[in-house]
Amino acid sequence: MPNSSWHRALGFAAVLLAMGASASRAQAQQQAQGFAVERFYPSAPGGGWFVMDALDMQGGLGGAMALTLGYARNPLRIADGLQSLSVVSDEATADFGFAVTYRCFRLSLDMDMPLVITGEGGTVGGYAFAAPSVNPGVNPDTLSDYRIGFDARILGQPGGRFRLGASAQLFIPNGHRADYDTDDTFRGMVRALLAGDVEHFAYAGQLGVHIRPLDDSPTPGSPRGSELLFGAAGGAKLPVGRGADWAVVVGPEIYGATAFRSFFAANGTALEGLLSGRLEGTRVNSVQMRFKLGVGAGIDQHFGAPEWRLVLGIEMFNHNR
Amino acid sequence: MMIPRLLPVGFAALVLFASARASAQAGPPAPHEDAAFDVMTLLSQHGLHNIDNESWNVYGQFTYISSWKLPFKAPYTNTNVNANVNGGTYSLLPTAERSFTGTFSLFFGLKLWRGGEAYFVPEVIAERPLSGLHGIGGAIQNFELQKTGSATPQLYRARLFLRQTFGLGGDHVVKSSDPLQLGTVVDSRRLVISAGNFTILDVFDRNSVTGDPRQTFFNMAFMTHASYDFTSDARGYSWGGTAELYWDEWALRFGRITPPQNPNQLPTDFRIWEHYGDQMELEHDHSLFGRPGAVRLLGYRNHVITGRFDDAIAAFDANPAENAAECPITGFNYGSKNASAPDMCWVRRPNVKLGIGINLEQYVAKDIGVFLRGMYSDGNTEVDAYDPADRSLSFGAVAKGTLWDRPFDVTGVGFGMSWISDSHAKYLAMGGVDGFVGDGYLRQAAEGIVEGFYSVNLLKAVWLAADYQFLWNPGFNADRGPVHIVGAKIHAEF
Repeated sequence: MPNSSWHRALGFAAVLLAMGASASRAQAQQQAQGFAVERFYPSAPGGGWFVMDALDMQGGLGGAMALTLGYARNPLRIADGLQSLSVVSDEATADFGFAVTYRCFRLSLDMDMPLVITGEGGTVGGYAFAAPSVNPGVNPDTLSDYRIGFDARILGQPGGRFRLGASAQLFIPNGHRADYDTDDTFRGMVRALLAGDVEHFAYAGQLGVHIRPLDDSPTPGSPRGSELLFGAAGGAKLPVGRGADWAVVVGPEIYGATAFRSFFAANGTALEGLLSGRLEGTRVNSVQMRFKLGVGAGIDQHFGAPEWRLVLGIEMFNHNR
Repeated sequence: MMIPRLLPVGFAALVLFASARASAQAGPPAPHEDAAFDVMTLLSQHGLHNIDNESWNVYGQFTYISSWKLPFKAPYTNTNVNANVNGGTYSLLPTAERSFTGTFSLFFGLKLWRGGEAYFVPEVIAERPLSGLHGIGGAIQNFELQKTGSATPQLYRARLFLRQTFGLGGDHVVKSSDPLQLGTVVDSRRLVISAGNFTILDVFDRNSVTGDPRQTFFNMAFMTHASYDFTSDARGYSWGGTAELYWDEWALRFGRITPPQNPNQLPTDFRIWEHYGDQMELEHDHSLFGRPGAVRLLGYRNHVITGRFDDAIAAFDANPAENAAECPITGFNYGSKNASAPDMCWVRRPNVKLGIGINLEQYVAKDIGVFLRGMYSDGNTEVDAYDPADRSLSFGAVAKGTLWDRPFDVTGVGFGMSWISDSHAKYLAMGGVDGFVGDGYLRQAAEGIVEGFYSVNLLKAVWLAADYQFLWNPGFNADRGPVHIVGAKIHAEF
C-alpha cells in the first residue's frame, strides 16, 4: 500500500507537472490581438497646434480642411527585461480632416489613412506578437478609425488672454486590429481645452478622458482600458510680413495618456514632446493657409509614444466676421 | 469665400458617416442637375460661396440598389455540391436570389494654386452579390458590385489625386461645380495632368448620355465597354497618371495605371514601369443637326502578370498533373479544385493584352440621347481587373422627363452583347475558371442583356428607380438561362 500511495502521489505530481507545462505552453501560444497604437491625435482642422487647440473659432459660417502627414519610429516596442521587440517599428500616416465652424462652435470629421505600418513578430512575456504589414501594395485604399468631433469655446474671445473650451470626439472603428490601427470598438474622448494669447506668447492645454472599452491587460504594451489625457503647449507668436498678415508660432507641445487602471505607472503611461512651428495667415474674411512642421520624441515610451516622430501639416481655413 | 459655410453639409456627412450602410462603384460621378438640390448651390444662393470660381467644394451621394433574380433553367451548375465539383461556386445559381449594394461617398475638392486642384473621396460600401459574383460575364446586373465587398460596411479611400491644368489659349470654357470638379473657367485649349489614386473611368470612356450609372442603367454592361479590361484593384480603382490635351473640339488622352498583384484582387502592383495598363483615347465633339454629340476612339494595352488560355490548355494537355487542384503554393488560383481542368496558376507570366473600341453619343432631341459602344480585345489572356468579356457591343437611349413635365425623371433602354474568344471558350469548356465564370462545361454563345429603367425624382435630390433586366446565355453559356432580374434603386445627392 505505501508503494501504491507513493505511486499515486507520483502520478498526481506528474499530472500536475504536465498540466503546468501544458498551461505554460498555452500561455506561450497566446496571441496578442493588436490595437490602435497611435497616441498622436491631431487637433481638429483649424485647431492651430498639432495636438492642442487654439480655440479661435469665430464669426459666421466658416471652415477648414487639413492634411497631416506623419512618421513615427518604434511607436510600440515591447520588452520583458530579457528581450525586446519592435512590434510596430515604422508607422506612416496621412490624416485628412474637414471642419465647419460657426461662432464659437466647430464640427469636424477626421479620416486617418495608414500608409505604412510594419514591425517585427515574435514572442515576449509569454505572448506571441504578429507583425503588422500595412503598405500601399497590399492595402491600397485603407482608412482606419474615423473621428467625428464637436468643440465649443465656452469662455474668452479669439486673441484673448484666456479661452476655455470643451471637446467631444467619437471614434468609429474601421480597419483590422492586426494592423495596429484600430481597437475595432467605438471609442470616445471628452476633453477640457484651454488656450490664450498674451502679447507674443501663445499657449494651450488639455485635460480629458479617453473612453476606451478595449482592455487587453495583462498583454505587454497593450491598452488597459480608459485613459486620462493631458497636454500643454506654449510658444512665441511673431507677426510676419507687411501688415502682419502672417504669423509664426514656435514652441513645444507635450502631451500624454495614462491608463486609469495603472495610473501614471510606467507600463501604462505615454508621454511625448513635439517641437512645432507653424506659419499661418491671420486675416479674416478670406481663405488663409497654415503650414506646420513638428519634430518630437517619446519622453516615456509606452502606449504608442515613439522614439521619434516627424509631422507635417497643411491647412486651409477661413473665419468670417 | 471659402471653406466656410458648410454646416448643413457637415451635419449630413457626419450623420450619414456615423450610420453608413453603403457600397461603392468605380464609375465617375455625373454632373449634378442645375436645378436639383445640393449644398454648394444652397450656399451660393445665400452669398456664402462663389460657385463659379471655387476654391473648394464638397458633394455627397448615397445609393442603395436591390436586385431580385428569378429562378431559371440550367442543366448543370458548377458548385461543390453537384457533379461538376470544383471546390467552389462558379456558376450563376439557378435558384431565386437577392443581391444588394449600398454606397455612401463624399467628394472633397480643393484648389491649391493656379490651375492646381486636389480631390479626396472616402467611400463606404456594403454588398451582397448574386452567387458570390459568379456566373455572369460582361453583364453583371449591378455596376456597384465590387470583387472584394461584404455585407459589413467597409470604409476606404476611393480617390486621392492632384490635377493640374495648363491653359493654352482658345475660348473660355465654363466648368460648373460638380463632384470631382471645382467651378472655374478654363481654356478650350489646355493640358490637364492628373496623378494619384482614381478610377480610369474618371477620365476615359466618358459618355454624357449614359452618364453616372448611379443615375441611369443598373447593369455593368452600360458603365463602360464590357471588354475594356482596364487595370485596377478589386474595387475598380488604380494609381497612376493621365495627360489630356484639349484643343477646342478635339481631345487626346493618355494614361498609365497600376494593375493588381494577382488578377481581380485588391493588392496593387506598384511596379508601374514594369507592369501597367496604358490607354489612349481620341475624342471629337461635334454638333449634328444642332444637337451635341461626340465620338471617342479608345485603345488599351496591358502589360501585366496573367495567364494565356492557350498556354494553360497546352500545359494541361502536356501534363494532366498541371490542373486546377494541384496548383503550386505560389500560384494564385480562384479556389477551383477541379483535377480535370486546366488552370492559369501554371502559366501566369508577364503578358500583353490589347483592345480597341469606339464610343458614340448623340443627342437627338432636347434631353434625349443615344449611345453606342463597341470594343474588340484580343481575348488571349484571362481577365485582369474588369470582366471576362473579350468583345462587346452596347447601345441604347436615355431620356429625361422634359417631354412629360418631369424634367428630373430619367428613363432608358439599353441592349448589350459580349463575346469570348475561341481559346477562352475552350478553356472554360474544359472546366477552367476565369475570374467570374466557369460553369464546368460550356456551349459557347454570346451573352446578352436588355435593360429598361425608370427613375422618378423626389424632392430634387432623391431618385427612386425601377429596373428590369433580361439576360441570356449567362457566362457565355448557351445551356443556361435566360434569366429575369428586377431591381429597385434609391439614390440621393447633396
